[in-house]
Amino acid sequence: MINKFSKQVIMWVALLLTAALLAACGGGGESDTIKVGAIHDLTGATSDVGTPYADGVRDYVKFVNDNGGIEGRQLELLSADYAYAVDQAEQLYSQYTGQGVVAFQGWGTGDTEALRAKIATDEIPFMSASYSAALADPAEAPYNFLVGTTYSDQFIIALQYAKDNGATNVAIFHHDSPFGLSPVDDGRAWADANGMSVVAIPMPGGATDFTAQLTQAQDAGAEYIVIQNVSSPAATLAKDVARLAEGTQIVCLNWCSDELFVSLAGEAAEGVIAASPFAFPSSGADLIENEIRPWAEANGKNVDELGVHYVQGWTTMKAMVDAIRQVAAAGDDITGPNIRAALEGYANYSTGDVTAPITFSGSDHAGSKALQLYQVQGGEWVKISEYISATN
Amino acid sequence: MESGVFHSSYQADMGLRPTPLMRIRLIVVLVAAVVFPFFANNYQLTLANQILIASIGAIGLNILTGFTGQISLGQGGFMAIGAYSSALLVINLGVPWWLSVLLACVITAIVGGFFGLPSLRLKGLYLAIATLAAQQIIEWGIIRSPLTGGVEALVVDPPLLFGINLSRDFNFYWLGLILLIGTVLFAVNLFRTKVGRAFIAIRDQDIAAEVMGVNVFRYKLLAFATSSFFVGLSGALLAQYRTIVSFDRFTIETSITYLAIIIIGGLGSVSGSIYGAIFMTLLPAVLTNIGSALENTIPQMAGLIPFVRKAVFGLTIILFLIFEPEGLAKIWRDIKDYFRLWPFSY
Repeated sequence: MINKFSKQVIMWVALLLTAALLAACGGGGESDTIKVGAIHDLTGATSDVGTPYADGVRDYVKFVNDNGGIEGRQLELLSADYAYAVDQAEQLYSQYTGQGVVAFQGWGTGDTEALRAKIATDEIPFMSASYSAALADPAEAPYNFLVGTTYSDQFIIALQYAKDNGATNVAIFHHDSPFGLSPVDDGRAWADANGMSVVAIPMPGGATDFTAQLTQAQDAGAEYIVIQNVSSPAATLAKDVARLAEGTQIVCLNWCSDELFVSLAGEAAEGVIAASPFAFPSSGADLIENEIRPWAEANGKNVDELGVHYVQGWTTMKAMVDAIRQVAAAGDDITGPNIRAALEGYANYSTGDVTAPITFSGSDHAGSKALQLYQVQGGEWVKISEYISATN
Repeated sequence: MESGVFHSSYQADMGLRPTPLMRIRLIVVLVAAVVFPFFANNYQLTLANQILIASIGAIGLNILTGFTGQISLGQGGFMAIGAYSSALLVINLGVPWWLSVLLACVITAIVGGFFGLPSLRLKGLYLAIATLAAQQIIEWGIIRSPLTGGVEALVVDPPLLFGINLSRDFNFYWLGLILLIGTVLFAVNLFRTKVGRAFIAIRDQDIAAEVMGVNVFRYKLLAFATSSFFVGLSGALLAQYRTIVSFDRFTIETSITYLAIIIIGGLGSVSGSIYGAIFMTLLPAVLTNIGSALENTIPQMAGLIPFVRKAVFGLTIILFLIFEPEGLAKIWRDIKDYFRLWPFSY
């Protein structure tokens, strides 16, 4: 029974290897680098937008290290793909904090919410691409910082734009999840106060046709359709709007405002407006032209192809690292609470025009309240407004 | 040399650990489990705690699917009921955390029993779809209900026991370990009782079971309720451990992961549920670490590694199912059998 025996030997060896590997990981050695943790979605449900965002985060770290690091110390990014699974996010988080990271870059709504309590206990400043307004309140989430405009403010700005253009009825088509529902209540409250009406219509996951939902929107007399969803369902919806409800203006919030949406929706994307908290590569923003584009080109990349989410990742990481830089420059210990204090000292911190200037304070962690509108013209996103702030 | 295990009394035959070797092994495992946290760092403790919670949930599901033969795709939903009940009881009614966990188990058992009603008429794939509906209804209810806070996550105060914060990795480990041991003891003994035998009879042939006098409907509901009790426990523990409850953790993917855990571990095996939970928790962690190590050594491959990792994950599971459809529990049994008869196995 050699076969059977060797099978068992393999089993045992595999078990021992597993044990050894897990034992080896997680032990943090002392070194002179400044460690930042990050989780990326490269293979999970949101990998289409997660990949360029992750590239932005990682490339900014390379950029910093190419330029001498922080006060002579190299920045070390501990990161891995977590496939949008909350339990894997928790594993990686505890692994990286064990290795001594001083700040953390998350990604989605799920992991950001799940880690919210933990990061507060561990005092690890945390940024992610989830802009739920609840995360902006330091009383609830003392270590979460939002670089982008909150979903609620994005929606309110879209509503303001609709109002300025004479519309009173707006439908919000949203992903049927906490992420999708996040802006609905705040937007509705604003609409009620401003003589508008909002109808919220959930977009069933995996739907290939939104005829029924569009009928619902038309019955409500919607002149504007705001989409709080990711690009591919948004593109399907845009095609249906072009077919069934011509003349209805679509406004995309952050997660369908991207190049992918245009390539998927094709003709139907024409005229769609984006309430995008981050500048598109075509915007000519300072940071993009003077920092991202030259570095990308020197490294054989093209920022126009990498897209807006790459810029978003880069800028978010930059906002975090600049706080670390301030702490280091002041000669203080680089710890979570010190980084938090530096972040809360941001007053009109410039992101090189990629976002509106960022202000954090001890009572408000929503960095920017304003954004620029973009519109698809000839298959490209073109800036159509200066910064618009969400009014109350 | 042994040629088999022989018992000279009925009592010995009924023993859970009839041979000395089994008892020694049990003691070794227990000692290892007790010593482990003193040598582990937080990362390893996080993994261990996830395994403990997943094991309890998997044993719950195995009672229903592995032992009673009723397939359930509602695992995620039932865990959510446990987690949200526990959290809401603490937040709104000020119930002590330990009581909230207990009540959460009972509530989940009732809800599970309710969603088990279709099992009277439905079997196999049809029941799977009915439980899928349960999953969707619960998810929908949680997102929409003003009670659950809807889209916002619920934050629970850390559970304290004599001033000790149990949500810390090291402290939670003990809570999880004790509850897992309790769950295991309950489950292995359950299948030595009339009720447990009735479950197995229903799984093997429900018509024959009914002819023998087993009230199939009653026992099916009982199986749903018992199973949901433990699933609720794992959900409630998750809420207390992470001190935050959000909807994303309890989606259909969770249900499928748990089915995978019990299939890989071994359907109808209590220890298999634990092996499965260990396997499904450690495999992604191990692959991620191998991936990170490779990314550092061969940077030009870095872009590919996450995908290779996913493929390896899938492949490992498929290979397991091909070479050992009865799961890890069977592999462990084979290993034990081999060494028991070593060196003269035939």
